[in-house]
Amino acid sequence: MTNIVYGVWDGVAYDHRHRDASLPDEVSLKGLDVFDAGNKIRAFIGDRGFFVFDPHVSLIDAFWHYMNKAADQSCGKCTPCRMGTVLVRDALDALRHGETPAISFDDMLALSRQMTDTSLCGLGLTCAKSLTAALEKFRDVFEEEAKMGPAPEQNGMVYVTAPCIEACPSKINVPQYIDYIRDGKPEHSLGVILQKYPMAATCGRVCVRFCEMACRRNLVDEAVGIKTLKRYVADYQTRTHALQFSKDLIAEPLPASMRVAVVGAGPAGVSCAYHLLLHGYHVDIFEEMPQAGGMAAIGIPSYRLPKDVLLSEMDIITALGGNFQFGQKLGRDFSIDGLFGKGYRAVFLGLGCQEGTQLGVKDEDPSLGGYESGIGFLLKVHDHVAGIKKVELKGEVVVVGGGNVAMDCIRSAIRMGASRVHLVYRRTKTDMPADQEEIEAAEKEGIIFHYLNNPTKVLSENGKIVGIELVEMRQTEVDARGRRNVVPMPGTEHTLRCNTIIAAIGQQVRAGALTPEDGVSLNKWRCVDVDKTTLLTSRPGVFAGGDCASGPSTLIHAMANGLKAARAIDDWIRLGEVRFFPRSRMRQILSDNRLLVEDCVEVPVRSEYRVHHPELDPEVRRQMFEEVEQPISAEEAYKEAKRCMRCFRLYSVITDRPIPPSHS
Amino acid sequence: MDTITPKVGGEGDERKYTLTATINGHPVKAEPNETILHCARRYGVYVPTLCELDDIDHFPGTCRVCVVEIKLPNAAQSHLATSCNTPVVEGMEVKTRTIRVRDAQRLQVELLMADHHQDCATCVRHGSCELQDVAQYVGLYQNRFFDPIRLKARQIDDSSPAMIRDMTKCIRCQRCIAICRDGQGVDALIRTGIGQEASVGLRFGLNQRESSCVSCGQCVLVCPTGALGERDETDKVINYLYDPDIVTVFQFAPAVRVAFGEEFGLPPGTNVQGQIITALKQMGADIVLDTNFGADLVIMEESAELLHALGKGQRPTFTSCCPAWINFAERHFPEILPNLSSTKSPMQSLGVIAKTYLPEKMGIDPKKVRVVAIMPCIAKKDEAVRQQLQFEDMAEIDTVLTTREFARLLHREGIDLAKLEPSDFDNPYMSEFSGAGAIFGTTGGVMEAAVRSMYYVANGVEYGAIEFAQLRGFEGVRTATVDMGGKIGNVKVAMAHGLKPARQLAEACKNGEADFDFIEIMACPGGCVDGGGNLRSKKAYMPNALKRRETIYAIDRAKTVRQSHNNEQIKALYRDFLEKPYSDKAHLLLHTLYNDRKLTLTRSVREIWSEINLSTMVY
Repeated sequence: MTNIVYGVWDGVAYDHRHRDASLPDEVSLKGLDVFDAGNKIRAFIGDRGFFVFDPHVSLIDAFWHYMNKAADQSCGKCTPCRMGTVLVRDALDALRHGETPAISFDDMLALSRQMTDTSLCGLGLTCAKSLTAALEKFRDVFEEEAKMGPAPEQNGMVYVTAPCIEACPSKINVPQYIDYIRDGKPEHSLGVILQKYPMAATCGRVCVRFCEMACRRNLVDEAVGIKTLKRYVADYQTRTHALQFSKDLIAEPLPASMRVAVVGAGPAGVSCAYHLLLHGYHVDIFEEMPQAGGMAAIGIPSYRLPKDVLLSEMDIITALGGNFQFGQKLGRDFSIDGLFGKGYRAVFLGLGCQEGTQLGVKDEDPSLGGYESGIGFLLKVHDHVAGIKKVELKGEVVVVGGGNVAMDCIRSAIRMGASRVHLVYRRTKTDMPADQEEIEAAEKEGIIFHYLNNPTKVLSENGKIVGIELVEMRQTEVDARGRRNVVPMPGTEHTLRCNTIIAAIGQQVRAGALTPEDGVSLNKWRCVDVDKTTLLTSRPGVFAGGDCASGPSTLIHAMANGLKAARAIDDWIRLGEVRFFPRSRMRQILSDNRLLVEDCVEVPVRSEYRVHHPELDPEVRRQMFEEVEQPISAEEAYKEAKRCMRCFRLYSVITDRPIPPSHS
Repeated sequence: MDTITPKVGGEGDERKYTLTATINGHPVKAEPNETILHCARRYGVYVPTLCELDDIDHFPGTCRVCVVEIKLPNAAQSHLATSCNTPVVEGMEVKTRTIRVRDAQRLQVELLMADHHQDCATCVRHGSCELQDVAQYVGLYQNRFFDPIRLKARQIDDSSPAMIRDMTKCIRCQRCIAICRDGQGVDALIRTGIGQEASVGLRFGLNQRESSCVSCGQCVLVCPTGALGERDETDKVINYLYDPDIVTVFQFAPAVRVAFGEEFGLPPGTNVQGQIITALKQMGADIVLDTNFGADLVIMEESAELLHALGKGQRPTFTSCCPAWINFAERHFPEILPNLSSTKSPMQSLGVIAKTYLPEKMGIDPKKVRVVAIMPCIAKKDEAVRQQLQFEDMAEIDTVLTTREFARLLHREGIDLAKLEPSDFDNPYMSEFSGAGAIFGTTGGVMEAAVRSMYYVANGVEYGAIEFAQLRGFEGVRTATVDMGGKIGNVKVAMAHGLKPARQLAEACKNGEADFDFIEIMACPGGCVDGGGNLRSKKAYMPNALKRRETIYAIDRAKTVRQSHNNEQIKALYRDFLEKPYSDKAHLLLHTLYNDRKLTLTRSVREIWSEINLSTMVY
């Protein structure tokens, strides 16, 4: 770790400016040596304190950068932050120019304390904490610098974030879009989401909500209904003042030769296409299916995501000039070589994981009547609901797995007419990776759960499934890594009679989706091998993202990959390389040091429990594919939005050299 | 140790107060999730507040003035916390008067003044301003941070004929947003700008005049400062009064007489009709009429219109005397405009008759007449300038003064209402009124007045009862069935006060689900007695509603004539001038039409993006 010259962290002062200093010298922050390659970090300012690593850093200028950002981001609702950030910033600005500020150091300290003690939200409460500490403990540095006249220009950046933003794979500015709802501007709220991806209504229905897990409101009562609010503003598009999408959104249209091919119209592909279109490229999207949406279209049942909602979001791509080419399968109708041959400058692969993983038990045979993979089953459900091909499901159904695909399978099976539906999962309910709300909804719909059970054998007669043999599992003691495993208990084998078995334990990239001629290599998990930061595959100019690169994952991860790939592709086409992305570096510093995680709420907050979607009655809904969750009212949305505590935090670095220019 | 006792609550319902804490060292009990402020108030401990308004359950925590010092059990140190939204927790020690608290409160108010209009003497709230009160409480003695440049950047919206939104005086308490959104359900106001530019504006960036605001004025009633207010027209009226060529005709609404005495120290709900007449005469008013007469006239027309509609099987008919309701229907529910009664409001009816019939009777030149209406309403200012309410080339109403402006007028003329001897109306043509006209000022009153006369108009004989208890509740929406006898039979009626309940009825009508014949709507909760043009109260919303209502009913009870159709001057007006209700002449003078003014705005994503401030904008 770089040597600290002086600083304050969590109220503890560190001072190594003088040889005789006897102050503590151990501090746990790591990774603060260099920012980008060869660019030394000279100072770091965060919400809990600051460190100066270079004695020549101008503290006044460093705090001006920080407070300038705070003033720029202050929402202006509460008095101390609205005025305090500006008054302090202006004073620092005068000082760094060698001028006399309008207020004294004492006033600056009083204002900083006032912000820290009495602000309404996380921004105001934290943005002056470090400055307060600095003015209390290192007033001499400020006074010294003020005497020396104008401060030299310093390089660096300030990063504004919040726990929910950091948790979101797409880094959606959650507090901001909630704030716009509170302000009465749902269209601006939607605008914030649309900065990151076009599928807001889809995400507002099916997202797994990493943001809500990180929400600091959990420390008070329960997380803000972030997904519910997202859906509320996304549904704005169905109301009187719907926002218009058109090509005027594209700031700089590029010449016709700037073409990019996107393979796969799933969430990753659509998101990538959206951002490429906004960057001015001409984008063709090749899709094997007759419609867009990928797994969101075929893998998510319509009781969770109505098809028209998804399709209306696919129209955004068309409105921006994107061109869907349906019925086009890679390897059958075109090849990657062919795409480059046609003049595409880059290719994005969003192939998805479309092949179900087998259970790997005795007598398992996918050709048996009644044997389905999770994804294969959901595809049939899709066709059934879409009226393409009716499917009859009779008797008892056993679904194996504990993820959201398994949940979709059980909840669809009951709607398809199964007499009873069982879920078999080898661990406990709390271990299930599926969304807890999905589990609860399924329980209400009458699904029978068999926890701590694992299949051992498939039973069939005359080529048809008649049952499944299960063995009971037992949890082992907590191991060295703090986890409990499960082991089968011999002798507990028993049979569950059923007519259908659905194996929903995982998915892979379809065998043969890529051929050796494509020049794109797979990794040991049979996923497309990509560089994690650039999403570049083994073949130059070919990028990949979404499930095909990461293995089965979430919609939000896929959409995040789409944006990341679009940035990388844009850089690659224009510059021949993918540039350093400073915000990612800041995020790395935060996550390496768990800066946003270790947190508590010091002053009590009044509890206000969240609003819930009105739901259709379980007895009624288990028979149909209508959307279960009904929209919330404007009144409820305002109420829910008020619960957000706006946990914004600012982090900044002062660096040796300018941070290299990067993508927006 | 001294003990303090709860002033409100706490007795009788001890069980819910399960938490124990201390305030300034005194033990107190609180219920779970109760705010420190609420608890302190129960025990009579004063904490200064500014943005908070308990009556509408509003505590946005924006002003940060109500800070107190708290210490949690086992906590190493104390914290400052805003009492309005911090709950009492078990064992908490609350201190409201430490130096740290007082310094923080004082600095907060000083920061509030940093971009606040400084010329208090020019402000309509001077002397009755909640910010001034708080500044005094915290002992503000200096104003270090004020910078006129900041003030210049703040906006004043004077586009509307009814009200002015002067953001140089806004303290961002958001009470106006709360009342518009949660109270009235109009939701016209939004928060605009961030940081220094944080303000309150109209949806879609429109100005007041173009916006979806309906000028109900409830926001004005809750504003703690002079940021919101009517467009002041007292000067115009003073000009009329001192112009010898002008014949000034004044009228005042049913609600004004019961909601005006407070300004001059009289108890709320005092009927000051007689003193108002004296004051007007003393200021030199030539003719003083009563809007109640106009109300009686409206009943004649509206009953006839309603019977006509019922005959055609057309239902429901909505009342049309409330201008904010008309604005609301035109802006938000144009689908129901065909169901609105075409009868003008009492104010306009009286105005047009005062410029036609009255000059004819009194031998004056109608061009010299200026009609000034004193109204508990700011939407009436909107109404007076409606194109379709100009008669020939004259305005039917020349100036509308709100109750507040009328108070200002009296102060400017040096008149103390409380010291005046009451006098009576003396105009022989247009100042008599029935009890039915008097009750127009409260919710259910128009309906009751109409019912009293409708029966007579339909059957030619009086209905037995006069008062209709089933119409007199205070719930947001009330319904009743009244037997109109003979040809008509049962009439289903509904009444709504406040625009949120009104929206429910409008929605039902739009969807064809409203099973009603006649619906009375008053845009302000309580009706005109709590209209947006009334005197303001500090830190209270509708504190005198029920007292005013009682007096209105008492005025009705004291009248010998209690039905509009028995008003002798109304009879004479029809006999000598209008022929009969719903006649051609009545149509020409007393009926109007409405326009679809719904906002149909579409915005592009590009525009929205240009208005967003994010530290991580991608586009």
